[in-house]
Amino acid sequence: MRFPTRGHPDIDPGELRPLLEESQDLHADSMAETGESLAEMVELGHEQRASGPADPEEGQAFAAARDRNLAGAFGGRLLVAAGAGAALSALLAGEAFADAPADIQMLQTQASIENLAVATYQTALTLDFIGGSSANPVVKAFATTTVQQHQQHAKAFNAAIVQLKGKQQTNPDPALLQVVKNAEPGLTGPLPVVALALELEEGATQTYVAFTSAFTDPNARKVTASIMGVEAQHAAVLLAVQALLSGGAPQLIALPPNAAALPAAAGSVGFPQAFYPTNQARPANEGAVS
Amino acid sequence: MRNRTDRTPTPPLEISEAELVEMTRDLEAVHQDVSLPALQQSVEQWVETNHEAAGPRRASRRSFLLGSGAAAVGGVLLAACGSSSSSGSGATTTVGGKLSSLTGDLKVAALAASLENLGVYAYNAGIQAATAGRLGSVPPAVVTFAQTAMAQHTQHAEAWNAVLTGAGKAKVTVTDPALTPTVNQMFSQVTDVPGLARLALTIENVAAQTYQAGIGVLSSSQALATAATIQPVEMQHAAILNFVLGNYPVPNAFNPTTDARPVSDLDGS
Repeated sequence: MRFPTRGHPDIDPGELRPLLEESQDLHADSMAETGESLAEMVELGHEQRASGPADPEEGQAFAAARDRNLAGAFGGRLLVAAGAGAALSALLAGEAFADAPADIQMLQTQASIENLAVATYQTALTLDFIGGSSANPVVKAFATTTVQQHQQHAKAFNAAIVQLKGKQQTNPDPALLQVVKNAEPGLTGPLPVVALALELEEGATQTYVAFTSAFTDPNARKVTASIMGVEAQHAAVLLAVQALLSGGAPQLIALPPNAAALPAAAGSVGFPQAFYPTNQARPANEGAVS
Repeated sequence: MRNRTDRTPTPPLEISEAELVEMTRDLEAVHQDVSLPALQQSVEQWVETNHEAAGPRRASRRSFLLGSGAAAVGGVLLAACGSSSSSGSGATTTVGGKLSSLTGDLKVAALAASLENLGVYAYNAGIQAATAGRLGSVPPAVVTFAQTAMAQHTQHAEAWNAVLTGAGKAKVTVTDPALTPTVNQMFSQVTDVPGLARLALTIENVAAQTYQAGIGVLSSSQALATAATIQPVEMQHAAILNFVLGNYPVPNAFNPTTDARPVSDLDGS
């Protein structure tokens, strides 16, 4: 089924290329900093093994807090529809991951979220209205660049895991994977795809915000902090795109936008909260490797 | 880029202003119900911790890093700090307390509050200039952006000041003393919306990177949580500003800290 559009903005996809190249130059500089964090992690990792053995009480308390948040806050959204609460409870109750230190489990969960995001965006790009000839060029460029950024995030988290002597996570987050599977039949136009991507970006951001203060290893915290705001930016773009698609104005999804044509309320739709919530954060051990 | 004047007129939006306002109201409700109480709880815990830990703090490796290593970075704004201040449009560099005597997490909180105050100041100055007609035609969406971002920066400053007053310290009501002359100088050259957007983008990037650097050095989990809930919001502001300016809105896969401000911004104050 083709999503009914009202035509694409007057923009040549080639015009986006210099912007993307410039952003990649900036990225190379920022990647060097993340590399420094990882190198420092190696050094410190020899001195302390990622906060030592797992503390069962700490892990249970953390998981319980996340569980309470999830139970109350995902109401009406995709995860509840997918029955994820039960799946998460089962994961939290499991003992399979009791041997891994909490920091490693959290990094593995973060890597699993990134892996799922990569797979989801890659799938979305196979849809004509996202990655094909009928796609909005800005949306297509965003999906293409975002999948690359998530790939780099997954690599960074896995590098951090290895440096803490943990097992790399190459699989997707199991609970969120089910959410994506359940959403797949409904991905018949840009709007549901954007909604799904937004769920994943929000889940990622909120998880990283929550984990940032939970990490004991400073370099795991630094690497996560360098990524969480990037996911928040993905979410901001998707919120703006979602609003314009919902309003039947895909022609306004352009770079640069025709700011004069945007309604006043569009100016704040991309950053709805002064403080980033964590009620959609994933449980610490959800993506842990057994 | 193709000249925008060559384009055919944009069809009217099918979504109404009221519908968009309703959407943002729903999101605001989430903020009031969920994120704000969570932040308040975190701040209250931090205040409690500060009460319990009253007394001299041992200088940690973290505070050493923030106090010296981070001072080596600074980027464009730091390099321009020697510029003259000439706008006379309101930001003050007079410091009402001994900010330089603060230590540890409280000093980071003071720096954060001063940066948030700077954001409020810049957006307020921009809104006033727009109202006075000094920036030419200003799209309504840009006005909403500036008003909302300013309100959020106000809340961020209040959060940090709650921590400071909870620890028996004075509120920080001034803008970052080291950066303010530069911002004033930059603002004096702003003549249109893109110019204002570029200035705001610089401030947002500096704030986000300062929080990120702070996350690497803060000691208490409550302080970390406070910084972590604010940093992504500043980055969202930056994404929208980049978009407005025609830049790719998510330029980095990993946010850098090269423009982070050091706590030494408060020294001598």
